[in-house]
Amino acid sequence: MNDLSLTKPWLAAAGLSRRYRNGRGVGPVNLTVGPGEVQALVGPNGSGKTTLLRCLATRTRPNSGELTWFGDGDRQAARAKLAVVFDATAHADELSARQNLAFFATARKVRSDLWEPALEEAAVAELGGDPLARLSYGMRRRVLLAEALVGDPPLLLLDEPTLGLDVSGCQWLAEALRIRARTGLATCISTNDTDFVEQVATRVCFLVDGEAVRDAPLSELLAELGGTREVQLSYRGPSPISAVRVIEGVDRAAEAEGGLLILARQRDGLLPDILATLGDLDLHLVDLKVRDPGLADCFLRLTGRALHD
Amino acid sequence: MTERSQVVMDRSQPRMAGLALPRPTQLWQLELRGTLARRRALVIKLAFPLVLVIPLVTTGAPPFFAGMLLTVLIAMVGTVGTGVTITRARGSGWLDRLAVLPLPAWRVGLELFFAGWLVDALQATLVLVVIAIAERPDPATLATTWLLALSALSFSGAIGLGIAALTDHAGEAMVYLSVVLAPLLFLSGLFTGVPAGGLRYWVAQILPFSYLDEGFQLLLGGNPPYGDPLSFLIAAIIFLSVSLVATAALGRAILARTA
Repeated sequence: MNDLSLTKPWLAAAGLSRRYRNGRGVGPVNLTVGPGEVQALVGPNGSGKTTLLRCLATRTRPNSGELTWFGDGDRQAARAKLAVVFDATAHADELSARQNLAFFATARKVRSDLWEPALEEAAVAELGGDPLARLSYGMRRRVLLAEALVGDPPLLLLDEPTLGLDVSGCQWLAEALRIRARTGLATCISTNDTDFVEQVATRVCFLVDGEAVRDAPLSELLAELGGTREVQLSYRGPSPISAVRVIEGVDRAAEAEGGLLILARQRDGLLPDILATLGDLDLHLVDLKVRDPGLADCFLRLTGRALHD
Repeated sequence: MTERSQVVMDRSQPRMAGLALPRPTQLWQLELRGTLARRRALVIKLAFPLVLVIPLVTTGAPPFFAGMLLTVLIAMVGTVGTGVTITRARGSGWLDRLAVLPLPAWRVGLELFFAGWLVDALQATLVLVVIAIAERPDPATLATTWLLALSALSFSGAIGLGIAALTDHAGEAMVYLSVVLAPLLFLSGLFTGVPAGGLRYWVAQILPFSYLDEGFQLLLGGNPPYGDPLSFLIAAIIFLSVSLVATAALGRAILARTA
């Protein structure tokens, strides 16, 4: 990393916009990612996360705005220093993980003695000789991540990195990104897996309908939720959202994942009030969960919309 | 030894004739190894032209019709193989992955093309081997027609790449390929012969399929009006060169299109 600037951001987007003919897309967005930072792009489906990541990854040309990698706008030069994982698990599926990784690592000029450790780190070395077509989707996602992580590229761009990973896979990836961040590598993640983001991100940019509605350090966003509680309701019957919204202390309420997500200030009597309100309605309460709020609640508070519809 | 030329072996590597193959470190190697690994598809691909050429040469089909059929076969193999492969690669996200590697677009285009071309060339070679065994033709004509077949495959492949730069769907690519290829084959004189003069004569001179058609006719005992080994050799070199330049230029267009 000796030739990389420590004074300029490794990834910088200024007024970046990519809009399609139907008006959908993303931007204008301002974003910077410096060494050691893990920037998360979070938003519901269709919010423009993937489009933005594809622009940052040199895959899609923005319509307007400025984009630089390591202080330089040269896309081809940037490709030598970044590694990208898209949501599609495209490989030469008839060939093995070792064979696929050999190609991608060679293209990025990664030393061959680092290839096998990358497969071992991703826990796919044991199956590394089998054709990828015979591996599970989750294992192929691990191979994809190993191909990106091999050689520790200075800048990692990951679209839905936890897609297909099991719990241990998510834990491995979170640890791998944290270790690399400590050594100064920069990462940008596009996802709506807020649990994962809370584990690894240093900064979060919320996207809604292509607009960046908030970009702030993770710690700052979570601190804003101090003194609040998240209540999740599952029910059968008419939606109680209107009745719930007028309960004292309820900050936000939105339909989410087949139920109702409520963000409310912590106070005595909050739950009894919610239950009493539900009792007045003609609905059958199936489940009720109360927990500390997280990043998804930040999004709810900010936009009034649930992150997971 | 450079990084790029390092050969790494392991016990999990596929073997050919008892030898472990090195890991594929170039795109064309990866693509070719992928094709070779699909053994059933490979056998069908190689057997397909034989199913056509063996009856033609063993039943004494008229050289005009046999030459036409074999030329159409070569043209279809080159265009469809490349066009459909590239559109599928885009649909699967494979081109997205290649596009963000630090490889120049022209090289990606050439390597994708080259891997398919090698297998297509093997198909064409098998056709000519059958003809050589059955007809015992003049070696110079046989050699130059073989080169013409390889250059016609390159030309067709470049057309396939061009079509792949226009569409994301394999089925749509097939329609476009037919629309482009049918007039080119007609203008090459495959269905009517090349007229002695006029615009169609000159158009036929700049299309590889007219030379290839004449080459096949010569090999099969026909007597086409213009064919001779020297013109075949010159035409093969020119069309091969043009196709490679076009393929390299199309690499950028192929990667630029976003699925």
